[in-house]
Amino acid sequence: MIKVHNLVKNHGSLRVLDGVTLSVRRGEVATIVGPSGGGKSTLLRCINGLESFDEGEVRVDQIHLHAGTARRELGDTLRELRRRVGMVFQQFHLFPHMNVLDNVLAGPLHALGRSRAECETEARELLDRVDLADKLTASPDQLSGGQQQRVAIARTLAMHPEAILFDEPTSALDPRMAAEVISVITDLAKTGQTMIVVTHAMQFARNVSHTIHVMHAGRVAESGPPDAIFENPQQEVTRLFLAETRAT
Amino acid sequence: MRNRLRVAIHTLLAVLFLSSLSSLNVAADTLDQIRQSGTLRWGGDASGGGPYIFQGPNNQLTGFELELAAYLAAKLGVRSEFVAWEWEMLPQILDRGTIDVVLNGYEWSAEREQLWSSTVPYYVYKLQLMTRKDDDSIHSWDDLVAQPGEPRKRVGVLQGCAAERYLEEQYGDKIVLKKYSELTSVMGLVERGQLDATVQDVPIGIHYNPDFPGLHTVGDTRAPGYYVAYVRHGDDRLRDALNAAIQSAIDDGTLERLYKKYGIWNDDQLQLAEVATDWPPFAAAAESRWANLPHYIGMLLKAAWTTIQLSFLSMPLAILLGLTVAVGRLYGPWWIRLPFEGYVELLRGTPLLLQLFVIYYVLPHLTGVSLPEFWAAVLGLAINYSAYEAENYRAGLLAIPRGQMEAALALGMSTPTALRRVIIPQAVRIVIPPVTNDFIALFKDTSVCSMIAVVELTGMYRFLFQSHPRLMLEFGVMTALLYLAMSYPLSLVARRMETRFKNVTA
Repeated sequence: MIKVHNLVKNHGSLRVLDGVTLSVRRGEVATIVGPSGGGKSTLLRCINGLESFDEGEVRVDQIHLHAGTARRELGDTLRELRRRVGMVFQQFHLFPHMNVLDNVLAGPLHALGRSRAECETEARELLDRVDLADKLTASPDQLSGGQQQRVAIARTLAMHPEAILFDEPTSALDPRMAAEVISVITDLAKTGQTMIVVTHAMQFARNVSHTIHVMHAGRVAESGPPDAIFENPQQEVTRLFLAETRAT
Repeated sequence: MRNRLRVAIHTLLAVLFLSSLSSLNVAADTLDQIRQSGTLRWGGDASGGGPYIFQGPNNQLTGFELELAAYLAAKLGVRSEFVAWEWEMLPQILDRGTIDVVLNGYEWSAEREQLWSSTVPYYVYKLQLMTRKDDDSIHSWDDLVAQPGEPRKRVGVLQGCAAERYLEEQYGDKIVLKKYSELTSVMGLVERGQLDATVQDVPIGIHYNPDFPGLHTVGDTRAPGYYVAYVRHGDDRLRDALNAAIQSAIDDGTLERLYKKYGIWNDDQLQLAEVATDWPPFAAAAESRWANLPHYIGMLLKAAWTTIQLSFLSMPLAILLGLTVAVGRLYGPWWIRLPFEGYVELLRGTPLLLQLFVIYYVLPHLTGVSLPEFWAAVLGLAINYSAYEAENYRAGLLAIPRGQMEAALALGMSTPTALRRVIIPQAVRIVIPPVTNDFIALFKDTSVCSMIAVVELTGMYRFLFQSHPRLMLEFGVMTALLYLAMSYPLSLVARRMETRFKNVTA
C-alpha cells in the first residue's frame, strides 16, 4: 500500500536520500535499520509529508506526492495522507497542555471534527490496551518516557491509521521503558497493523519484522526477511553494520 | 534588622522633606535679588497663547502680556526674561523659585490668594460663548441646556480656566463638559462638530476668531473676573513694586494703548483704577483643607473607574490584534508577513500620544468618522499595545518546539487547527508574565488619554492638583494608592495563573 520510488532529497550540497525505492504491502511490518545519518528518519518524514523531496514520488494507495509540488496546493492531499498514515516520534511530542485522555482524543476531535461523546469510549479502550487506563487525567509531564510513548501510540491509533510510521520509538528510553514500548508495538504487529519502524533495537527488528531494509548513505543497501539479513547478509555494508551492533 | 531599615527610611524621608522645604523658602528678599541680577523672570505659556503671549508673524514672541512684562520690568529698573512653562504648572514653578512672578491670564481667586500674593488686576475679562455658525440649536447661554429628549450639549474648555469653573457651577450635569489642555484644538473640535460649543475668555475669542471662520460668538459676555499677577507669599516688596508699576500703566494710558493695539480694549477696563484702590478683595476665611475631601475622593474614584474601563476594554483587543499579527508574521505568506512587520515597527516606533492625536484629531479629517474620545482612547491603546503583544506572542510561538506542530500535522490537523488547538494554547501560557507586565504598563499609560479629554485618574489628579493646590500632596498620595490598588491585584492574578500553568509547558 505504500510505494516509494526513486526518492531524492538534498540538504544543500548533502544528498540525504539518494534514490530510495521501497514498498510496503498491507499488513506488512517493515523495519528500517542502518548506521546513523543514513537517511532513515528523513525517509519516514518524506512519506507522511513532513519534509519535501527533490525527485521521485511517494504513493499511499491512491494518494500521490510528487517532488517539487508546492506545499500550499498540497494541503488537502497531505491531510488525507496523514489521516491514513500515522506517525510516532522519537521524542513522543505529546501535547503538554492536555491530559492523557485529551491527547488521545486530539485527532478524532480536532482533525476529524467528531464529538467527544462519540470517541471517548474508544479512547479509553485504547489507553487500556497500552496499559494506561489509570492515567486518564494525568498530565504528560507526570508520566515516564515509556508511558508517554505508549500514550503517543494510542493517540495515533485513535485515528485508525492504515499504516503507522515509527521514528526510533525507543531511542529516547532506558531499556526497561523501551521494553514496555516494544511489547506494545509487537502486540500491534500481531493484529496485522501495517507499519514501518525505524529502529536501532536489532533484536526487536528481528522479532517483529516481515521485511528489514538496511539503509546506508541515502540508499537501501539490502532488503529481505529477518533471517536472511541476519544470517546471510549479501552486502558488505550490512555485514559491517551487523558486526558493529553485535559488538555493542 | 527590620527596625533599623525603618529608621533608615524615616531618616531619608525626613532629609528629603527638609531639603524640599529649604528650596521652597527663598531666603533673601526677591526684589533685591531681581535688582541685583537685573532681570525679572516671569512665567507664561506661549503655546496657543494669543493674544497674551504667542508666536507672532516673524516667529517672534509677541502678545500684550509680553509687552506688559517689559513695561513692569522697566519700571523696576531691570529687563524682563520670559520663562516658558505649561500653563497649569506656573504657580508650582513660582514656588520652586524658577520664576519671580506668574503673569499669564491667571484669574484672581480666593483660594489662590491663600497660597500666593496677587498684584492689582491688569485686565477685566468676561466669558463668551462660541458655537458653529451653522448650528441653529444654540442662540444663547440658555440653549446650552438641551431640550428634553435631545442629547446633552458637549462643551469644551481649557482645563483649569475660569470657564471650566463657571460651567461646572452653572450647568453641572446639564451639559457634557470636556476639558482640554490645548486651546486651539478645542476651537477646531467645535468647528468640525466634535463639540457643540466652547466658552472662552473674551481676549481669546477676539484673537482666534479669524482662524476659525466657522465659529461665532453667541449671547452676552458674563462672569467677569480679574487677571492678576502672582508672587510668592512674603514677597510683599516685590508685589508693592509691581502694583505701583501697574498703577502707573493704568494712569498714564499705557494699558489702554496696549489693549487697543491687540483689539481687546473695552469699557470694562475703566474699572481697573478703582478696583486697585481696595485690593485684594476680602477673602472669607479658608474652610478646612479637609472639608471637601470626600467629594474629591469620589471624583478620583470615578476617574479610576474610567482608567479601569479603558484598560479592560483595550487590553483584550490588543491581545487579539497582537496574536493575529504574530500568527500572520510566522505562518502567513509574504503579502501578509510584510505589512504586519511594518505594522509592528510603525507602532512600536512612534509614541502613543502621537497615535492618539492622529486617531482623535486627524482621522476625522481624512475619513469623516470621528470617534467619541473614550472610544478613540480605547482604540489608540489597543493598537499601540497590539504591537508589543504581537512581539510577545511571536516569541511565545517560537518557543514551542517544532515537534508540537509536526505531531499535530501528523494527526491530520490542518495548520490553522494545529495553531488553534496545539500551538497557541501553549504560547498563551508562556507569555503570561510579559503580557501581565504590559497590562500593568497599559494601566499607567491610560494617563496619556487625558490629552484627548478622557478624564482618567491622572487627568483628574492634574485637575484637582491644579484647582486645589493646597492638597497637592494628599491628592498625589491618593492617586498613587489608587493605581497601586488597581495594578497589584493584577500581579497577584498573574502569579496564580503562572503557578497553575507552570508544569504544563514542557
